Amino acid sequence: MTHNTVKASDYAFTLLRYLTLFGLLGTILIPLAFVISVSFRPPEEFFTSGVYLIPKNPSLEAWEQALRFLVEPLKNSLLIASGTTIVSMLIAVPGAYVFGRKEFPGKDIIYYALFVSLLFPHILLIAPITDIWFEIKLYNTVIGMWLALQVFVIPFMIYILRDYFEKLPQNLEEAAQIYGCTEFTAFVRVVLPIAMPAVVAVAFLAFLIGWNEFLFANMLTSGQGPRPAIVELFLLTQGTSGNVYWGRLMAITLVLGTPPTVLYLFARSYLGQAFNIT
Amino acid sequence: MPPKAAQETDKQSKSSPSTHVLIEDMRKTFDDGSIVACQDINLSINEDEFVVFVGPSGCGKTTTLRCIAGLEIPDSGHVEIQGREVTHLKPKDRDVAFVFQDITLFPHMTVRQNIQFGLDMKTSLSGSEKEEKVREVAQMLGIEELLDRQPSALSGGQQQRVSLGRAMVMDPSAFLLDEPFSALDANLRDRMRIEVKKLQQKLNKSMIFVTHDQEEAMTLGDKIVVMNDGRIQQIGSPYEIYNEPANHFVAQFIGSPSTNLMPCTLEAGRDGISISSGFFELELPPDLADQINGYEGRVDLGVRPEHLELGEDGIFEADIQVVEPHGSRDAVYLTAGDRELVAVVDAGVIPQDRDTIQVDMDIDKIWLFKESGERLL
Repeated sequence: MTHNTVKASDYAFTLLRYLTLFGLLGTILIPLAFVISVSFRPPEEFFTSGVYLIPKNPSLEAWEQALRFLVEPLKNSLLIASGTTIVSMLIAVPGAYVFGRKEFPGKDIIYYALFVSLLFPHILLIAPITDIWFEIKLYNTVIGMWLALQVFVIPFMIYILRDYFEKLPQNLEEAAQIYGCTEFTAFVRVVLPIAMPAVVAVAFLAFLIGWNEFLFANMLTSGQGPRPAIVELFLLTQGTSGNVYWGRLMAITLVLGTPPTVLYLFARSYLGQAFNIT
Repeated sequence: MPPKAAQETDKQSKSSPSTHVLIEDMRKTFDDGSIVACQDINLSINEDEFVVFVGPSGCGKTTTLRCIAGLEIPDSGHVEIQGREVTHLKPKDRDVAFVFQDITLFPHMTVRQNIQFGLDMKTSLSGSEKEEKVREVAQMLGIEELLDRQPSALSGGQQQRVSLGRAMVMDPSAFLLDEPFSALDANLRDRMRIEVKKLQQKLNKSMIFVTHDQEEAMTLGDKIVVMNDGRIQQIGSPYEIYNEPANHFVAQFIGSPSTNLMPCTLEAGRDGISISSGFFELELPPDLADQINGYEGRVDLGVRPEHLELGEDGIFEADIQVVEPHGSRDAVYLTAGDRELVAVVDAGVIPQDRDTIQVDMDIDKIWLFKESGERLL
């Protein structure tokens, strides 16, 4: 008897689990399917009545326009995102290492100060940063974007990486030092390779932030400067002149999502390792 | 000029040609001097000696070892290795190898790469020369077939063997081992101990081994350095340490079951000096009485469990609490007065159902310690 009831509730549970999974999947995939669908429709089909996925008169016009439009902004996005990643890595990786494994006066206070900076909305910084960037001629420059984004990228990365460094075996660098390393080469030859999964993971996150960050990008660049694709995308939705060309907008969205997706596929195995070290 | 010359001869007299590692007046503190990890450390170690630092946790043995390795820099005093002043040198410039308590193989390298790491960093040998050395060491340690594995695929014992290999391949002037086997299970620990001892004899290199386990210390060391509270308590052969402890601490710490210590009073009477504990009295024979130079007052009498003689007549009677079999010997736990004592006798000598027994002790086998802990007799 009891055996049967357990079985019934097992089925119910399995059913519920799949329903939940499909529900979640649906909320992501259905809109995505329509995004793809709309990107291949001619403008006449944007507002036709009736719901359907396969466009009646498929057209590549939206994609052609999108790609032509995106050449410059994508270049800017790539420059900003990769530069942001490199600058942040140069600072955050050694920084997190020191916070995780070395002792120095004021360590805790400085660490918590960094951490607290993550808790405040960084929109607070928009006005002062824009102001200062104007003054020191970083406004509308790629370097200006690299530096501005560090304000929240570096604390975030240090926060994630510090734990990873901290958890590595106690005497690792000491063993390296006995067998011929200085403190610095112990970091480079032993600690860094071990921490590679976490470093790749945060590099990916830094790139993602650099690629998708909108607030600073919108304020610190203009049409004459290195305006990244994400801002251009936003401006298109504002529809300055009449109707928004939805097909193009969808195509741009898809193009914008591609580099992070590709990067994610490369970094995936590292991401998995990074957050469960044994 | 003359003072300097005098100093130099003085130095030479301290370090004889065979002295390999020399530590003088070393002191190390932590937290701005509030914690004294070790002080007044003076020690000389010969080229082929197996030295064991032993003491309870926090006694400064590991700190001393780390100062020799260069992982800590002493506050004062100095360290010499092969006649070379190394006190402030970096670990890599000292020509020592260190095996850590926790397993510290580099997890991202194979066993081979781990063993070869030091050669890669410190020498300019060719690839085939390095390979040859690694193979040689692996063969000696019986880990040849593990060379291409990752450390995570090895057992604790194998990992520690690789750690040893990483040390051996460097052919260092001294091996420093910091409780290398404490994470292993008892059986494996015994085996590794024997192997290390054999290895040391084969390599003929000075080895300094730190342990908190006095039995491990006794079985391994040519020379044992007993430490407590940051100071060296006694340096000697296992035999000396066991039979002639310098003070109360050493008597108590070395040996298992541990030495019986009983508070007593020394009194000069009409016919000599007597020791009284409340439940027995002993007369000191004249030759021993001379040795204590008229010291009177409170002392601790120490006697090893195997030197308590149980039988039909003795100087006091004790209640038998427990008879604990230890293979060929039995440990007999006794109470006399309000004291707990332990005696070790041949197995089966004391019948299980016996309640009381007479206890005797050989006056030549007892030790007396002053209240300060110093050995009196």
